[in-house]
Amino acid sequence: MTEPVRATPDDATLVRVRGLTTVLGGKTVFDALDLDIPRGKITSIMGPSGTGKTTLLKHITGQMRADAGSIHVDGQDVAGLSREQLYKLREGVGYLFQNSALLTDFDVFENVAFPLRQHTKLPEVLIRDLVLMKLQAVGLRGAARLMPNELSGGMARRVALARAIVFDPQLILYDEPFVGLDPVALNQVLKLILTLNQTLGITSVLVSHELAAVQQIADHVILLAKGKVVAQGDPKTIADDGSPWTRQFFGGEADGPIPFRYPAGDYAAELGFAGAAK
Amino acid sequence: MNARAPQHDNVVTQSLAQIGQCGLFLLTLLAAIPRSFRYLRETVRQLWFVGAMSLTIIMVCGLFVGMVLMLQLYHVLSIFGGTSASGMVVALSVYRELGPVVTALLFAGRAGTAVTAEIGLMRATDQIDAMEMMAVDPIAYVATPRFLAGLIAMPLLCCVFCAMAIFGGHLVGVTWLGVDNGTFWSNMTAQVDVHTDIVNGVLLKSLAFGAVVSLIAVFQGFTTPPTSEGVAYATTRTVVASSIAILALDFVLTAFLM
Repeated sequence: MTEPVRATPDDATLVRVRGLTTVLGGKTVFDALDLDIPRGKITSIMGPSGTGKTTLLKHITGQMRADAGSIHVDGQDVAGLSREQLYKLREGVGYLFQNSALLTDFDVFENVAFPLRQHTKLPEVLIRDLVLMKLQAVGLRGAARLMPNELSGGMARRVALARAIVFDPQLILYDEPFVGLDPVALNQVLKLILTLNQTLGITSVLVSHELAAVQQIADHVILLAKGKVVAQGDPKTIADDGSPWTRQFFGGEADGPIPFRYPAGDYAAELGFAGAAK
Repeated sequence: MNARAPQHDNVVTQSLAQIGQCGLFLLTLLAAIPRSFRYLRETVRQLWFVGAMSLTIIMVCGLFVGMVLMLQLYHVLSIFGGTSASGMVVALSVYRELGPVVTALLFAGRAGTAVTAEIGLMRATDQIDAMEMMAVDPIAYVATPRFLAGLIAMPLLCCVFCAMAIFGGHLVGVTWLGVDNGTFWSNMTAQVDVHTDIVNGVLLKSLAFGAVVSLIAVFQGFTTPPTSEGVAYATTRTVVASSIAILALDFVLTAFLM
């Protein structure tokens, strides 16, 4: 097993993954995966569907435990943290869910205020100001009293982003933030991610399939396949590195190292032609 | 909490595994009670939702149960000339059995299913995971307040049900069928024992049924697969499992308390 390497708080690497191995339902999702997420940068995790990108985010936040290996976030071994320590770590991590995951009982204002109300004893007037500032940052101050079911997909994503940054986290994990958005909403979210990274210095991990969007904002791209990192580098040049993985993934080829067919038994035998084949 | 249940081969082992998981979930719930005190407002909100919002169905059903019970008893007792005992028999039936059992069955159908569906949808839309990510314990914030609300609401609803059933019995017996008002009340107060019938019958049973229904509803919500079909099955399971548990527990409690 690979020896875990701790990252110290002043390290240029904020998230360090070493020898991560995960088996789910008999399928190996990660096979001794090693990767680093640099501090203060936007890192995009890409890869074919089902390759474990969201699972990786869940490992980083301690929502899932790995079968082997280690993950250090800001020098802390996630697997070794107690429940209280893990919750303390999560207060410094924002997470943008694929479907926004807004609390449907609360309006936009209360959704953004929720973490503040749970973890601070700030006076109401200060909570109000903080929430309005975050909503202003995502351009939705005027929608503060709308309910989640009154929001469009793009607006819901921006409210979720306002909620994710309400504690000014050092790390934000974006799980497919562009899925289902029209070009205008996509560009709004894209701009917000970039602005947050540049103005607040937040480390961002972006799980996405949108290569064009990723190329605009990401500093580093990591391509996952078959439970390992198969390519990584600059988003503008990674597609031209010549490996069959990047050629297929970024070229959108139907077949290649990422197989078109799901593993199955003998086709002729399943159709009942086993005897004829012999 | 990890909702992924291990796979089991047959119905018996599956059911036993579910009961085991439910028991472990109860321990988690009980352990989270001290942490849930800081969410007192949420508990009160749930008390309103499962308690106050169930009042209409409980009151209407209680009234009709009392009315039909008196009607049946009057016709049977009149054969033996014992209609004067009808008020007492209505009261004893309602306090000892019908009150807690019917209230619990109605509570499971009205509030239990709503709790399961709500938590199931919260899981399906990642709201539970979002709470985890915001460092808010979903067991303490979502599960325990709903469990405590059910525990508090059931005895109160049962008292309302019993009161309405007695009122319904009085309405039919005294107002309609001509049973003497004084006989109706005096026989009832003479025969109803506060400890055996009210404390053991109404309060203790309804408290136990409230705990069981709330536990099943919250457990099913938390362990449902996060799909629309999963939520539908979970709500059905809440009603079926609660109904069986209520009737079985009623037998056990009656056997011990009699």
